Amino acid sequence: MGTHRHVAFVLIAMHWVTGCVNTTIQEVREANTSLGSTESIVILSRKHKTSGETENDFVSCVSGKTGSGEDGLSVMSERDFMDELFPWFEPRTAPLNMKDLTDVISRPLISEKIRAIGVRYLVWVEGTTQRSEESGALQCTVVSGGIPACFGFLSWESGSDYEASVWDINRGINVGKVSSEASGTSIVPAIIVPIPFIARVQNQACISLAEQLKTFIRT
Amino acid sequence: MERRLANLLLVLVCAINVYWIVGCSSDASVTITTTIPNPLIERVPIDVAVYYDDAMSQYIHSEDLGRYGKHTIDLRSQISVLNRIFDAMFKSVTTIQSLDGAQGRGADAVLAPSIEKFQFAIPEQTRKDYYEVWIQYRFELYGVDGSLIHSWPVTAYGKANRLNYGGMQSEKSPALREAARWALRDAAASVSFSFVRQDVVREWLQQRVAS
Repeated sequence: MGTHRHVAFVLIAMHWVTGCVNTTIQEVREANTSLGSTESIVILSRKHKTSGETENDFVSCVSGKTGSGEDGLSVMSERDFMDELFPWFEPRTAPLNMKDLTDVISRPLISEKIRAIGVRYLVWVEGTTQRSEESGALQCTVVSGGIPACFGFLSWESGSDYEASVWDINRGINVGKVSSEASGTSIVPAIIVPIPFIARVQNQACISLAEQLKTFIRT
Repeated sequence: MERRLANLLLVLVCAINVYWIVGCSSDASVTITTTIPNPLIERVPIDVAVYYDDAMSQYIHSEDLGRYGKHTIDLRSQISVLNRIFDAMFKSVTTIQSLDGAQGRGADAVLAPSIEKFQFAIPEQTRKDYYEVWIQYRFELYGVDGSLIHSWPVTAYGKANRLNYGGMQSEKSPALREAARWALRDAAASVSFSFVRQDVVREWLQQRVAS
């Protein structure tokens, strides 16, 4: 019984040690920002690349976290925004720079729609979460008595690197950038049963980026 | 009894893990049902008749990828997608059953879209994370007298990240369906922009307005 307690304690302790994620946030401001009570923001991902596209669940996470809490901003979902402005913000047609955006919103149909939906800031998110430095080995076999068992140790580094550019639609300018980097080590020790301890770097990067975006846009 | 139950549980966990890690080849048959939002585009002031031949209106792509399984993609809903974009693009749109059926219907021209090429790729083939769909359309614009005014290609592309659908093989169909939906949405966007960007079409439009 005492041994079991020790094992449980070691496993829980390992979870806390390896579950740690280091996060770095950076901000570059180029102009002042403010959000009126009837205005909202939209968080969009770049979809024109054939690789390295930002994960849907990351964009959803940042949108959700930015729009929640006492200091939450009014956030329109990416899909609703794309639908309202179809076909101007599709993967192929979305403006890639401020000049393209100015051209798009100078069209009466578009500017009228943007006024109607009340979106003031476009936040373009780029980046991904990737695994690296995988090491170790894990082998599973059926031991005597027909019991399957796994032995070994796996570990890998995960790194999230995201950058959000904030565009002010009203003024047609880039007001700044917020970036979020997170890294952590995940391990899977296996003594009969594999027990994964996953470093949730993407989730941490999402929370950090969302909190920083709130501060960035409000002040 | 408890030991037998524990063994059974371990076997089950291992079986699930093996399935999750290794996966297996599987067939996929998807029917694309999609609609596009109301497009924010300026209307071209002409009345257009649209002709879809049977190959276009009944388009179903079937392909055997060998060890990756047989794949069938039913793309018949592309007609409703194109109709919606044409309704937004032109002053009026009527569908005709034959290319010479535009006469007497008050149309200024006949638009005849067709599929020239359809391709798709799955992550098992490409070693990338994406399910991808490419469609190459050809658009032909005829005068009501049957003469060809202009013909141009329109390409459409859609992709879906397998990571957004979990790692299970059973998620192949939803991801492939999503890639095809994005391709149809891209087709609608491309058509809406490409029509007035064709020099020949622009000249023809200017002549019609002038006359």
